[in-house]
Amino acid sequence: MNDYIVEMRHITKRFPGIIANNDVSIGIRKGEVYALLGENGAGKSTLMSMLFGMYEPDGGEILVKGKPVAFHSSTDAAACGIGMVHQHFKLVEPFTIAENIVLGTEPEEKKLGILPWVNIRKANRQISELSRTYGLEVNPTDRITDVPVSVRQRVEILKMLYRSAEIMIFDEPTAVLTPQEIDFLLKIIDNLRNGGKTIILITHKIAEIKRIADRCAILRQGRLIDVCDVAETSVQELADLMVGRQVQFTQEKTAPDFREPVLEVQHLTVKNEHRFDVVKDVSFSIRGGEIFAIAGVSGNGQGEIADAVAGLAKAASGRVLLNGKDITGLSVRDRCLAGLSYIPEDRQETGVIPDMTLQENLALREYYKPPFSRKGILHGEAFRSYADKLIGTYDIRCAQGPDTVLRSMSGGNQQKAIIGREIEEQSALIIFVQPTRGLDIGAIENIHRQILRERERGAAILLISLELEEIMALADTIGVLYRGELLKTEAAEKMSTQEVGRYMMGVRKA
Amino acid sequence: MNKVFTDGLSFALPLLIMAIGTLYSEKSGVTNLAVEGFQGVGAFFGALAATLMTPLTGAGSQAIIYLAILCAAAGGAVFSCIHGLLCIRFRANQVISGVVINILSVALTAFFTSAANSAISGSASNKFVLDVSARFSVPFLCEIPWIGGLFTAMYPFEIIIAVLAAVMWYLMNRTKFGMRLKACGENPQAVDAAGASVTRIRWAAVIISGALSGIGGICFAYSLLGNFSPSIYQGFGYLAIAAMIFGNWKIGPTTLACLFFGLAKSGGLQLCIAAQLPSKYTDLFLLLPYVLTLLLLIFFSKKNRPPKAAGEPWDKSKR
Repeated sequence: MNDYIVEMRHITKRFPGIIANNDVSIGIRKGEVYALLGENGAGKSTLMSMLFGMYEPDGGEILVKGKPVAFHSSTDAAACGIGMVHQHFKLVEPFTIAENIVLGTEPEEKKLGILPWVNIRKANRQISELSRTYGLEVNPTDRITDVPVSVRQRVEILKMLYRSAEIMIFDEPTAVLTPQEIDFLLKIIDNLRNGGKTIILITHKIAEIKRIADRCAILRQGRLIDVCDVAETSVQELADLMVGRQVQFTQEKTAPDFREPVLEVQHLTVKNEHRFDVVKDVSFSIRGGEIFAIAGVSGNGQGEIADAVAGLAKAASGRVLLNGKDITGLSVRDRCLAGLSYIPEDRQETGVIPDMTLQENLALREYYKPPFSRKGILHGEAFRSYADKLIGTYDIRCAQGPDTVLRSMSGGNQQKAIIGREIEEQSALIIFVQPTRGLDIGAIENIHRQILRERERGAAILLISLELEEIMALADTIGVLYRGELLKTEAAEKMSTQEVGRYMMGVRKA
Repeated sequence: MNKVFTDGLSFALPLLIMAIGTLYSEKSGVTNLAVEGFQGVGAFFGALAATLMTPLTGAGSQAIIYLAILCAAAGGAVFSCIHGLLCIRFRANQVISGVVINILSVALTAFFTSAANSAISGSASNKFVLDVSARFSVPFLCEIPWIGGLFTAMYPFEIIIAVLAAVMWYLMNRTKFGMRLKACGENPQAVDAAGASVTRIRWAAVIISGALSGIGGICFAYSLLGNFSPSIYQGFGYLAIAAMIFGNWKIGPTTLACLFFGLAKSGGLQLCIAAQLPSKYTDLFLLLPYVLTLLLLIFFSKKNRPPKAAGEPWDKSKR
């Protein structure tokens, strides 16, 4: 007999065109934090979706507390004490926190012995107590619309606690959080473990695994590669196992070869919808072959600068020059034609059309020009061959080739598609906003390599990132943004990580 | 003045119960433009039942209205299953389904009315002639100055609808079912993850909307029109949808919107009579609720927040 609370034996799951899990066997002990590490699309989420009853495995068996189970829905799994915090929260926005938590298991009472009603006040009290026990402070009567992402996540955790789940699955819980919020979440996971809960953590972030997990299973392309004791395995070893080859954490950067200025931003001011200055009198210029990185804590006006340069937001005052030409008043398309490429922060909202196919998305910059369109008629063959070419060049993995619907692809591959589409334009200026957000090491490595290659080509690159490490690794010049002002602009080699960090906090003199 | 209130209320209440019907469907995430059809078909079944029963009970019996209401509710509920089948089972476009059902219902009821009439009386009339319920006034309340008219010369159905509306409010806002129903219209994924069946809840909501709309239809037929004929399709269903939108998908404000429409309609008519305008202008004044609808749309559209998932078929696998 073993002491596993959950055992998954020889699990296989196929989807059209892909084997998501191939003969995977894992065992999870009671009271441990068990991490599932793997690149995007390695099959971690699929495996856990089967444990949570959302899919049924094609082969293999699942044992919970030593008994074989066959879940047909998440309700079955919940009845066995399994709970899951999904990557995309499943919350009803206009409802209060308490209403969301009790949904499905409402405390129903009978008024006057006959009239059924939901006693929400009682639920409020219970949830307040529960949230205090685990250090998850929430106000049960707040509406979800009014609370930030980190609180929404706490609501999802409370949902599991309210249903007295013993086994809790977290699917990429830190993807949406700031560093401070991540610290807080990891502390809560630690509390839960100390409270006797069993935690399964799906992630591609090795740092978090090192901080919190006891054991770690590594999946690659649907197969179980290894299960290791986290304390005895190094970060480098974990990364290599996950990607399947030696991972380079830093990229080789060639000596700078700066050319003429490409982008000049002069006294740019941008207002938000409340007429408030979010970007204040910002000036900088980027030469060909230069990576200009804007560092800053989230929400200090980074996105607005990028949007104003790309034409998605209007500049309240100031000028934007591209190759000496004033583009301040131009439409987005005219800016693109003038030589601008944009990799936006929000992939799904701005970068792609998720419900269209890969070939259509790849042609978004070109579809109206020959050979894609002649005399207003689209030519499918041109789309297909262009997509085939980009899929090869940029290593975009897609189950159904050019016909894959973008939504069904992993985030990393969606990003590769966007970057491929934009780089292929050979623009003079490329704007990257958070290009590696939510991606795994392998994909990050790939994207960093692309950015450096464009720099060698002689493109001017505006890189906006919240990851200080990324900025330090790539930038030639760093501008630190604080409350919409460019506090400091300096060559990258003259600044240390600590200095940049201090400016990010608004300290003027380092 | 009293007449404005009396007539206004008797128009507003059937409108209200239809509006609550649509509201149930939309709150569960199924866009419902089919109220117009539901109320017509409901009224048809109610009228048919009344016509069949009248020989047995004798003319002038007051019990028939209650039977007609029950049959109208049942008829509307059964007919609404078409909308459920298309929108929930087959994930069809909900707007198109609603519009087509409206067209279908006009044709179907016209055909079956003629068929039923020729079977019963031998003449293929497209009309069921109905009684008009006896009216009553609520003692004391009807003597209140200004608003006494609301409680004067009431039809029995007005009480039924008022009670039913209160029950529907309670069901929506105080019970487990209502809570899940609203959640279905906002984020069906959440309901599914919580272990409830989105499909079942949406079916229940659509059938409720059919039943309530049917009741609204027969009340129009039995009071305002005094018969069942194609004139039942005057756009009352659409007006009910407008009222629900002005009420921001909430029963309380929707009630106010319906009262407003009712009073606008009766007010327009009384104004027309008071001004002794020739009858050709009457039609123009009867347009008043619709003109108001257009005007109000301008003001209300911005602040409104429709259920987020309304109109979207429920697809379990979508991320």
